[in-house]
Amino acid sequence: MAVFPSVDWFDEVRNVFNSDDRYRAAGGGFCNCVAGFKIAERVFVLTFEGVECSAAVEGDEGSLDDVDFYLEMPADDWRDMVANIAANGGADLHHTLNTLDLDRADGLATSRHGDQVREDLFFRYNQTMQFFFDASALVETQFD
Amino acid sequence: MANKPAAKSSPPKQPAPKPAPAKSTQSEEKRTFEPKFNWMNKTRQWGVRVKPGKAGLRLGDLNVGIYGETPTQWSDQSRNPRGAVPRRGMPPVAYSIRDKAGLWADCAADLYEEAIQRRWAPATDVPWHTIEPLPDDVEHAVCQVCTELVGYANVDIETITGWQHQMSYGYHEVKQFLATASFDAARHYECFRKRALANGGGLGLEGPGMVNRMILESRGGWTEAVVYLLVTRGALTLTLYKYLGRHAHNDAECFIYGHALADKARHMTYALDHVKYAIAHADDELQIVGTLIAIGERSLARDLRDPVLKEALAVIFGGGVAKAKGRGMAVYGEMMRDFVATYTGYCQWLGVPRDPARLPPPLNEYANPTDAEA
Repeated sequence: MAVFPSVDWFDEVRNVFNSDDRYRAAGGGFCNCVAGFKIAERVFVLTFEGVECSAAVEGDEGSLDDVDFYLEMPADDWRDMVANIAANGGADLHHTLNTLDLDRADGLATSRHGDQVREDLFFRYNQTMQFFFDASALVETQFD
Repeated sequence: MANKPAAKSSPPKQPAPKPAPAKSTQSEEKRTFEPKFNWMNKTRQWGVRVKPGKAGLRLGDLNVGIYGETPTQWSDQSRNPRGAVPRRGMPPVAYSIRDKAGLWADCAADLYEEAIQRRWAPATDVPWHTIEPLPDDVEHAVCQVCTELVGYANVDIETITGWQHQMSYGYHEVKQFLATASFDAARHYECFRKRALANGGGLGLEGPGMVNRMILESRGGWTEAVVYLLVTRGALTLTLYKYLGRHAHNDAECFIYGHALADKARHMTYALDHVKYAIAHADDELQIVGTLIAIGERSLARDLRDPVLKEALAVIFGGGVAKAKGRGMAVYGEMMRDFVATYTGYCQWLGVPRDPARLPPPLNEYANPTDAEA
């Protein structure tokens, strides 16, 4: 059982995501970006290349300077989202990344480089990010 | 980012020895096919071997050697594909957009691939079966908003296709990307119309259309059309999709708005990249874009003073007519503040900062979150 959040957990989700062709259809597919995930004080950096998530590493605060965009929420909100996905087989209407982005005063997605085109990758690849986290429904998860 | 695939090329040389034509009489030549294979010698660069990378063989990967040369002005007025040998005596096609600054965006080839690979089909990908009956007032509001969005998509199609044929073939990456953008718009037209007709409602009242007219009647060039169609209207459409997705009533609507949002974000990426390129490479373009943006805001403000879209959105956000005035309008205000922040952020990034206090009403009402919330 993989512990959320951890590189092992992201690797297990990557395995599900990369091996299921359904995530490449219906608006998924081609995705080239480096995305950060700030979960409480921990930082994880995922690389998406072509139709795969090719790497997941743990980084630090400074890693967020280099990513195209990063998603930041308190640990409880991340757990709530992952648990909702596990319970429903995918995010319900109240737990999609778009909803979580709009429900937060400062949004969910942000960046530090000030490049509007790179930050907008979150919206261009929103469905792929959603597919990625929805894939976690098939990963047995234990919360840290 | 995926590694660029390896490519090998060699200088022009003869591709293959020309087969000697068989001896024949003149009368036989008239009756039989006697190939000369002269065309086999016609190439500007032979021996190119582009290799597919992790993401396949992408359009941008083909830009090797002379095939990747995109000069600042494309003097050829024929339909000659970039890198091919021109045929003498071809009548000019009279493309009006022959300056690279008039259409180029470095990201166009990648966006084309992205659009092709991330395509979706409303008929079969949208989970239509998840749509269930809604209260009558909410269904009316959803249908009214869909009517407006169908109108937006129609203008997208007409505008893009109206300019596309005026663009030189030398910049084929942009033409190809715009082909996907017009197809995206056709898909949006399709899915919003389908949503309006899928749950016991129907299409509502046509929108006021000031922005539509401004976009369709602009004649100053493609860059001007991009400013109106995407920087001004596109930023609003993007924000509408986000908030409609947030207030979706079922998985079908969530899917539609989420996917339309991704498509529109791709169009916005092209727009920002192109306008930035135009400003950097064309004299006076910074001032011109500044003027266009101010003109665009005034038309948009006139459209936004029409109450129909606002009321319909408030009914959706509030969950019905009863809560439209309170919660519905509060969410509408949030959406408009989000839009103005996104829009002014784009302008700032382009180097054309907007003074929030000088935006035309009602846009200025949403320019300062603190004032608006007070």
